[in-house]
Amino acid sequence: MAELRIDGLDFTRGDFHLQLPPLRVATGEKLAILGENGSGKSTLLQLLTGLLDGKEQIYYDQQLLGKIPIVERARIFALLPQQAQVIFPFSVFEVVLFGRFAQTDGRSPQENDHVQTRLLIDQLDLTHLAERSFNQLSGGEQRRVMLARALNQQAQILFLDEPNASLDVRHSLDIFEFLKQTTQTVISPVHDINLAANFFERFWLLKNGQLLADVSHDELTSELLSETFDVQVSNTAGNFSFSR
Amino acid sequence: MKPLLFTLLGVAFIIALFSGATAINPFAMSNIEQEILLSLRLPRVLFSAVIGGMLALSGSVYQLTLKNPLADSFTTGTASSAALGAVLGIACGLPVPLVPVLALITGLCGLMMVYRLSISDGVINPVTMILAGVVVNIVASAVISFSKFYFEESLSSIVFWLMGGFFIVDWTRLIVCALLLAISFVLLQRISLQLNLLAFDEASARTMGIDVARLRRFSFVLATLLVAVAVSHTGIIGFVGLITPHVARSLYGSDMKQNLTASTLLGALLLMLADAGARSIIPGGAELPVGIITALLGGVFFLYLLRTRRERLWHG
Repeated sequence: MAELRIDGLDFTRGDFHLQLPPLRVATGEKLAILGENGSGKSTLLQLLTGLLDGKEQIYYDQQLLGKIPIVERARIFALLPQQAQVIFPFSVFEVVLFGRFAQTDGRSPQENDHVQTRLLIDQLDLTHLAERSFNQLSGGEQRRVMLARALNQQAQILFLDEPNASLDVRHSLDIFEFLKQTTQTVISPVHDINLAANFFERFWLLKNGQLLADVSHDELTSELLSETFDVQVSNTAGNFSFSR
Repeated sequence: MKPLLFTLLGVAFIIALFSGATAINPFAMSNIEQEILLSLRLPRVLFSAVIGGMLALSGSVYQLTLKNPLADSFTTGTASSAALGAVLGIACGLPVPLVPVLALITGLCGLMMVYRLSISDGVINPVTMILAGVVVNIVASAVISFSKFYFEESLSSIVFWLMGGFFIVDWTRLIVCALLLAISFVLLQRISLQLNLLAFDEASARTMGIDVARLRRFSFVLATLLVAVAVSHTGIIGFVGLITPHVARSLYGSDMKQNLTASTLLGALLLMLADAGARSIIPGGAELPVGIITALLGGVFFLYLLRTRRERLWHG
């Protein structure tokens, strides 16, 4: 199983500066990253997945990220980027099946890969769309297909950049419930704070590229959120509400 | 999967073999007619098929790696910059086998220029790409025309380079091109699964286990090599690589494993027929450069793509 360890992270691009203290994420943890737009959430994911190169020291099970071959990385972690797209009219089934690439080590998918893909498509309520062309789906449907594609990698860590972006309430709840049940580590920037508070157990609060706090579910207070987002936050019966 | 395609290919082959300035009755051939058929028509028809396959295969790869349904060797400016290299190589008296090498280098330079111009933050703007391709095309064509006229005072050779045609055919050229096509085809087939993942955005593709930069580099070089060699022998024949991957995709789906094969076969089919047309349209034995016919077909097809995909092209 994969433990994520950040020994040092210091990244600069133009005016933007992202700096994190040493951190660890144990196997199976459900970690939400909260912060304003531009606080560094997506950049952090790009650094953790090796899409951006900095002088960072990121280890997966004692292995330095930079030293892990790309196909091996895809078995350790999967990423759902904010702007996922596919050109050409591939079917939903094909798109999800492509997620098996690293698990089959680049060989043609076998019978069990097809079975696994079908299963996932059923679980994410995509059965009726399986033969449709990905490009003809609505934004929310495409998002769920891309999520299925990422899950199909069966990686040990899931980096999901706002997994419920453009999803309706029912599908958002279904997906967070699904992520809560999984044994995989989930690391995910989330915008809906109440939803995050309900389904995640650990929170990184980012502000201007700095880690404001690294807290458990019980330590996530109105004061911290208020500081993170520069708004008034009150907590009534476990639900946060926000005002200017 | 493709019995239909192979049947059509066979039919096109027969049609191409028996069309031309001299009408040949296959059931009562004189010796001269047999001679024409075997030593003139046969290599030419095969050559057009191989070149068609090369251009179509390169088009299939370009459309995927550049993420642009309008990409092919012509619209990216690769063909004309490769032709420029070939023309300069010939003008400088480079040995014949080295001409395609120079064409490859200038072709890659042209392609990289267009690529660099159209990419920002890892996203390729399809409209900028086509514009950049047009510019490279115009400049390269102008230089080709200039050097042909300056060094040879020959207008007909300008036509040859810019319009393309199968005026010089021999078995050696045919075999070299066929070998290159076969090898490239096998190499691309072997990585067809990875090529599929290039259809995803870069972040997804990389975290799915693909070394995107390396794969793209490899594809660019191989596709451009196909174009460079084809152009060195036949001049610029546009749009074969634009049309065929689309037709292949609508017939057999987007999977690159299918698309590479179907595009190649359709390219062979298209260029055999186009060349047959080029040999028979003008009465009295005169030949039309085949590029005129493919440009006509391709231009109309390009318009159709612009109409149907306008929204997606402008808005990504």
